[in-house]
Amino acid sequence: MIRSTARKRLLTAVALVTGVTLMATGCSGAGGGEGEGTEGGGGRVLNVWAGSQTPIVANFNPFAPTVLHGALGPVYETLFVYNKAEASEPTPMLGESFEWNEDGTQLTVTLREGVTWNDGEEFTADDVVFSFTNEASKPTYLVSAEATDATTVVLTFDGPQYTNEFALLGASWMIPEHVWSGKSAEEMTTWTNEEPVGTGPYTVKTTSDAAYTLVANESYWQDGKPAVKEVRYLGIDANQSAEDLLKSGDLDWTGMFVPDPDGIAAAGGPAGYVNTPQDPTVLYTCANADLGCAGPQTDVAVRQALNLAIDRGTINDKAFVGLAATISPTYALLGRDDQWIAPDVEKESPQSADADAAAAVLEDAGYTRGADGIFEKDGQKVELTLTSVDGWTDYNDAAKLIEEQAKAAGIAVTASTVSWQEFSDSRQSGNYQLVMGGMIGTSVADPFQIYRDWFSGDYTQAVGTQLEPGEWNFSRYANPVVDEAVQAAAATNDESAKKAAYATIQTEITRDLPYIPLVINATQTFFNDTDYTGWPTEDDLYAFPPSWGSVSAGYVLGNLTPTE
Amino acid sequence: MKYYARRIAFYAFTLWATISLNFLIPRLMPGDPADIMLAKMARNGEVAPGVEKTIRLLLGADTDQSMWDQYVAYWGNILRGDLGVSVTKFPTPVTELIGAALPWSIGLLGLATIISFVLGVGIGAIVGWRRGTWVDHLIPASTLLQSLPYFWVALVLVYVMSVNNSWFPRIGGYDVFTFDGPELTWAFVGSVVYHGFLPALVVVISSFGGWLLGMRNMMVSTLSEDYVTTAEAKGLRTSRIFMTYAVRNAALPSIAGFGIALAFVVAGAIIMEQVFSYPGLGKLMITAVQGNDFALMQGLFLVITITVLVATFLMDVVYGFIDPRTRSNG
Repeated sequence: MIRSTARKRLLTAVALVTGVTLMATGCSGAGGGEGEGTEGGGGRVLNVWAGSQTPIVANFNPFAPTVLHGALGPVYETLFVYNKAEASEPTPMLGESFEWNEDGTQLTVTLREGVTWNDGEEFTADDVVFSFTNEASKPTYLVSAEATDATTVVLTFDGPQYTNEFALLGASWMIPEHVWSGKSAEEMTTWTNEEPVGTGPYTVKTTSDAAYTLVANESYWQDGKPAVKEVRYLGIDANQSAEDLLKSGDLDWTGMFVPDPDGIAAAGGPAGYVNTPQDPTVLYTCANADLGCAGPQTDVAVRQALNLAIDRGTINDKAFVGLAATISPTYALLGRDDQWIAPDVEKESPQSADADAAAAVLEDAGYTRGADGIFEKDGQKVELTLTSVDGWTDYNDAAKLIEEQAKAAGIAVTASTVSWQEFSDSRQSGNYQLVMGGMIGTSVADPFQIYRDWFSGDYTQAVGTQLEPGEWNFSRYANPVVDEAVQAAAATNDESAKKAAYATIQTEITRDLPYIPLVINATQTFFNDTDYTGWPTEDDLYAFPPSWGSVSAGYVLGNLTPTE
Repeated sequence: MKYYARRIAFYAFTLWATISLNFLIPRLMPGDPADIMLAKMARNGEVAPGVEKTIRLLLGADTDQSMWDQYVAYWGNILRGDLGVSVTKFPTPVTELIGAALPWSIGLLGLATIISFVLGVGIGAIVGWRRGTWVDHLIPASTLLQSLPYFWVALVLVYVMSVNNSWFPRIGGYDVFTFDGPELTWAFVGSVVYHGFLPALVVVISSFGGWLLGMRNMMVSTLSEDYVTTAEAKGLRTSRIFMTYAVRNAALPSIAGFGIALAFVVAGAIIMEQVFSYPGLGKLMITAVQGNDFALMQGLFLVITITVLVATFLMDVVYGFIDPRTRSNG
């Protein structure tokens, strides 16, 4: 309660003074900030956004799901670097060469000499053995890992493991035994590892809830690298904020979706830009009536008709602002995986709608057009529900376009949006008709992983049963011909045998279409090529360019040099 | 004393109910948190081999427990002050995350609410005193500002003052390009104030109109009371009539409202903090909800509900003192 006039006056005065000082200190704060930011020219800190959101919590444990991007590549390294963006040989890092035995059950890796951990200890073959055999990272198919001499490690498997070459050499983090050996399986994932000991070009300097800074590892095994001495990873919560910071030149490197990439440089942001589409966007269809799927989409004719009725060109232009790439119904990445596409299958999905052809497919399958223009068979109309996650506006828009396009071809599709949770539930349990969803592009120039994880009958469950970890076959598609070919491909390293197996798979899946291909999502990267050189560009895609790329980000950072 | 016993019993029951609801609601949401986390990572481009295994390990641990066992364990943890471990920021304890965000929210919103209250009530009193003159035009102007959606004001301010002209910073609670973390220097304090200015301005702009209108209306009705007329007839100084007779009585409802408004400070202005990427509780809440982070969500709701309950309880008790009428049973 206010007791007297005096106190009231005092209150007002306090409020006034607070307001005035607020403004005064505000202005001085601004001046100080800018001065320090631009100091030092080429030696300044490289600012990166890799998708981290605030509050940032220090976690440099590569086995933790919440690990910060800076750990994956800049601090910890793998034996080789595989290029996801182009078909090329793996680059030797901690490993110098590798060799498979004849039947693919043994992999011999020769290691680099003279590498040290950033705490001064030597990197040895025992560290490599430990990195493969510890509780957190030991693959189920690994029988043994042995160091036969100081620079050779032999990995033995329970069967041919050619297909896991990338997982073993390009995605297994090398960790120091002397730091990690005492940890239990649980500790290995829960330990936050705030001062990570790795072999990479950077070490951790500071972490706060808004940003973390990496500083060059002076004893890095590649002499003279890294030339950029400090890298700051920021936590930014919204894409819009990141775009604004990019435009104002505060960010030097980021991988994020920007609908108008030319606008960045025009507004004064960094001019470097590259788009490397990787991940397919598809319609999941619950395709397999034998496993419990229900609805018109279980009929292959309906899926084929829908595939023909979709106008991908329009969808790309309107929903994906023309930045997505053309998809191949074989799910080989066009341009990168061309050699794996069989000559007699459809190479690219049709880019324009063909309502007549779609109608013809349905008529051949015994459907008749009803009075309302919608096809029906045995009194059952071809009516489908298509869901997409609310807020993924590109997917929501694409779903609406598909609704219109399908209608023109006599298929009633109802597009609706659902929450994350419902999306997850429906695809895990198989209770859906059509879902707009993504696929994960393969990390090497080979579509095998998609064939195995998304198309084979061993990687799915009956409708109503949740998929197991590692299973991605949301469509419940199961085809013995595909399964057999997948196994044949996995058991060989012979190119022609693999091609033959892929041809079989491609013939089957381009006909059955358990996933209806739409586009390949854009993967945009923006970088400051005025102050720094050495970025992967369209002419020289030596590594996957975005800042969030695991392994590749560290490789790219190591290759940068400040201008001047 | 019966009045207070009744109040306390009522609040104890409410507390139990809110904490129980707090337990129940997140568990009624559909979806498997592990799959959601994976789908999100996949959407962002990359799921390294092996990550899936560790996510399952972390999230699938105790799903076999019955609801009742979980409920009992939940109470046990709350009484021990253990709010669990966040999933989206694994393995940080929830208490640590809330502890880090709380000062930002309280500092920014608390100050902004006080400024807005003082401004609103102060101007309201003057407008009420000089009713019928030109100052009445302040009322529609301020209610117009009040009626503008919070987030819209925030977006317009960001667009004009941070994006188009870089007068004010775009994100954060301090200059992340200069400071590696919070530190005790004048430069840092300056940076905090500079970063907090726009968000605070949004809060003041969009809330002081309410205080102003309420105060002015109370003022007008108080001024028509007989005791004010008597005071004027006695020939008292106008300043005395204004302060002691009018403002003091007219401000009562506003002060009650102020207590509640302060309690809601803890809830944070969710959208405002999101727009400015301000590291407070509101933004933490969005992170929690988006990531299906039950532990963090529950922790936040708990802190918010308890603060609101305590504040209303205190206001209730204080009001019992100020105004005896609230104590008697009608």
